Amino acid sequence: MTEQVESLIRKDYSAGFHTNIESDTLKPGLDEDVVRFISAKKEEPEWMLEWRLKAFRAWQEMVEPTWAHVHYPTIDFQSLSYYSAPKSMADKPKSLAEVDPELLDMYAKLGIPLHEQEALAGVAVDAVIDSVSVVTTYRAKLEEAGVIFCPISEAIKRFPELVRKYLGTVVPQKDNFYAALNSAVFSDGSFVYIPKGTRCPMELSTYFRINEINTGQFERTLIVADEGSYVSYLEGCTAPMRDENQLHAAVVELVALDDAQIKYSTVQNWYPGDKEGKGGIYNFVTKRGICHRNARISWTQVETGSAITWKYPSCILKGDNSVGEFYSVALTNNFQQADTGTKMIHIGKNTRSTIVAKGISAGRSQSAYRGLVRINAGAEGARNYTQCDSLLIGDRCGAHTFPYIESKNSSAQIEHEATTSKVSDDQLFLCQQRGLNAEKAVSMIVNGFCREVFKELPMEFAVEAGKLLEVSLEGSVG
Amino acid sequence: MTDFQQQALQLASQQQNSPVWLRPLRGEGTGQWQRASWPGRRTELWKYTPLQALQRTEFQRWGRALPQGVGSASLLPLDAIRLVFVNGVFDAQASTEPHAQVVHFSAASEPQRALIEKHLGRIVNTERHLFASLSNAWVQDGVLLHVPRNVILDKPVYIVHVSIPEAEAVIVNQRLLVVLEENAKAELIEHFVSDAQAQNSFVNSLTEVSIGNNAELQHYRINLEQEQLIHIGGVHIDLQRDARYRGFTIAEGSQLKRLDYQINHRGAGAHAALNGVYLPRNNQLVDYHTNVEHWAPHCTTSEVFRGIISDSARAVFNGRILIHPHAQKTLAELSNRNLLTSDKAEVDTKPELEIYADDVKCAHGATVSQLDDTAMYYLQSRGVSKTQARTMLSFGFINELLQELPRAEVRDYLHHHLAILFGTATDLS
Repeated sequence: MTEQVESLIRKDYSAGFHTNIESDTLKPGLDEDVVRFISAKKEEPEWMLEWRLKAFRAWQEMVEPTWAHVHYPTIDFQSLSYYSAPKSMADKPKSLAEVDPELLDMYAKLGIPLHEQEALAGVAVDAVIDSVSVVTTYRAKLEEAGVIFCPISEAIKRFPELVRKYLGTVVPQKDNFYAALNSAVFSDGSFVYIPKGTRCPMELSTYFRINEINTGQFERTLIVADEGSYVSYLEGCTAPMRDENQLHAAVVELVALDDAQIKYSTVQNWYPGDKEGKGGIYNFVTKRGICHRNARISWTQVETGSAITWKYPSCILKGDNSVGEFYSVALTNNFQQADTGTKMIHIGKNTRSTIVAKGISAGRSQSAYRGLVRINAGAEGARNYTQCDSLLIGDRCGAHTFPYIESKNSSAQIEHEATTSKVSDDQLFLCQQRGLNAEKAVSMIVNGFCREVFKELPMEFAVEAGKLLEVSLEGSVG
Repeated sequence: MTDFQQQALQLASQQQNSPVWLRPLRGEGTGQWQRASWPGRRTELWKYTPLQALQRTEFQRWGRALPQGVGSASLLPLDAIRLVFVNGVFDAQASTEPHAQVVHFSAASEPQRALIEKHLGRIVNTERHLFASLSNAWVQDGVLLHVPRNVILDKPVYIVHVSIPEAEAVIVNQRLLVVLEENAKAELIEHFVSDAQAQNSFVNSLTEVSIGNNAELQHYRINLEQEQLIHIGGVHIDLQRDARYRGFTIAEGSQLKRLDYQINHRGAGAHAALNGVYLPRNNQLVDYHTNVEHWAPHCTTSEVFRGIISDSARAVFNGRILIHPHAQKTLAELSNRNLLTSDKAEVDTKPELEIYADDVKCAHGATVSQLDDTAMYYLQSRGVSKTQARTMLSFGFINELLQELPRAEVRDYLHHHLAILFGTATDLS
């Protein structure tokens, strides 16, 4: 049985190809000049440069956090390159037809043919390679509805008031070490603005890919949903196979104004490193949303990639009656390490939050859930429900749960439950007895284990997530 | 080094007549204490528990024997081997006749001394319990409870620590070592109590327990002291093959009260059950940290802690279960439920699971809530006053744990004490 599990876990990284695109890469190192260079390259206004420099100065004073349950050699931040752009971007494509066909091929390999997505799914895609946003599909249709969906570098130029009003309000420059670094050197990302009372006509999507060697990717996403609006946003990530570790430090800020709803879904499949734990992406991400009155933010994530994941998508439930949700599946295999979870900060009255976190560890991986539920004194009638379950496959992996619960209001109700167990022999036996092989049986059981989270994902993503899980687990059953 | 750290070392140097054979342990403890950085808000183990109360007070000397004996402190009416300490000093008058199995370190025979040297300071996890190294640095005397192979103690051992305020703030260092050899069985009641006056002492208590193969210990630790007292305590337990530990602890709050439990399953098939109740009121604080480590396969742990936090009090609970590799077939469960009865009350709870073996079943749960509205309504609709309904429901919440206590005298004592605490004349049992 164990051998079969093992053979299931062992499966190659199918997104691990490298595309030969000529690119423009800044030499490694980080100082104020690099920040100025990036800002100049992006033709940014003065206030933006100041904002970056403020973040950079704060970053210099900060130390890397060490509290997470992950181990890795110290990162030399001076050995990384902080800007890399595909060369052909120099003369920007105006439409899909002008995009470098090799780039488009790469996306096709990843299973997101831009043309197809445009036609079939009706999903508007903003693809970010290394540091630059390549193309945003479906823009015209969105503009008709008044929705702004464009690379953030463009938004800074075209809608400076809007960006300036919200940028850094949810994740301040000094929030944490990686957020400060991102604020200083972020090169691109997406910006979304949904006007009052608008329901975004289609699902918005960004695809991130790290292509260049020795680069860090620092993208920044800002989504503002104005009063009474609704948006569903999808994010996917991949990177080529490399022996070196690559750094990815992103920041995502969500602002849901009164009565607005944001649904943010992620399928993260960065290169996890090989079977010996060599290479892979270090994924240090800060994601946070703020809910105003009656607003709702829902984070759904499927994390199968990255050598190290350090990620806590959070909600600040500031307005009365606001709702925060977090649904997560984190699968680790081989030598992957994940420390992920969420924070729900209840400030307003009658705020509600739901946390469902599923962790699956296989091989020699370590997966941890770390969460905080804080009920402030004024959060009358707040309600939280948390459930974290871990599944262990193999006897060399680890699963951990670190939930922090802080309550200062007597009318609040908080429930937390966590369980850890292995794939039960009884369940396996039952499936096998009915003619399924061990591999299929484990995959079925794991899919069932994650069902609560998958059902929160938009349809196309749910299918992808299911497949991804199957692939990532291949070789772990035996 | 902070003032308190220095004061602590100063006090250690006052103990000039410490026995020679304990000096290596004292040295070790002193070294660790000197090297340790003072815990602050960023120290994970002390995140929610400030130590300002210790810093504020100037502790000048050790507790002394007092003429009034135990004073007005209320003891358990129990037919037991009783040892009474007042401000850390043994009170022979209030205690029962010396017993062969319960001796003071200072009166230990040669083989007993060897036993103490083998176990004392070796069970404790000083990594997670800073004040245990301080206890080592301060160790002067203590009590050894030793139950030899195949012996079942016919009477419970009842150790009482009474605090009575002296003119200056004093320090009390309490040390207990329990060694149960193969197939031995014992019952131990540790009772920390004070008279009703405002206290000014700091009690650092440490109990180390070694339970041999197939041996069993029933352990009560009752912390009911006046709220000005500062108490930092630890219970560290090693369980060998098929050993059983059944523990119960109850604590009222104080300006600073921190209690650590460390349970190590070292042999296969061991079982540990630990239940606890905490009841901070006014401006008090109670902090329970429990850490259960499974080092061997086929062991089981069950842990239930319940707290009622009222007024402006604060409770901190941290329950960690750590399953090391190879500790397969472990069953471990932890439940922590909290009742907040006031809008100024606060609870910070963190149940943790850290698991490095796959064939295990572990679960933890934590809840924070107020009294159930429908239950309140039901009682009120039947003519029970609001206050009384509250008392009944609050008491019922913790009584589930009290009811299970095998020792009737402890149960009755606690029921009586809680009736006073909840301010009701009705019999709560």
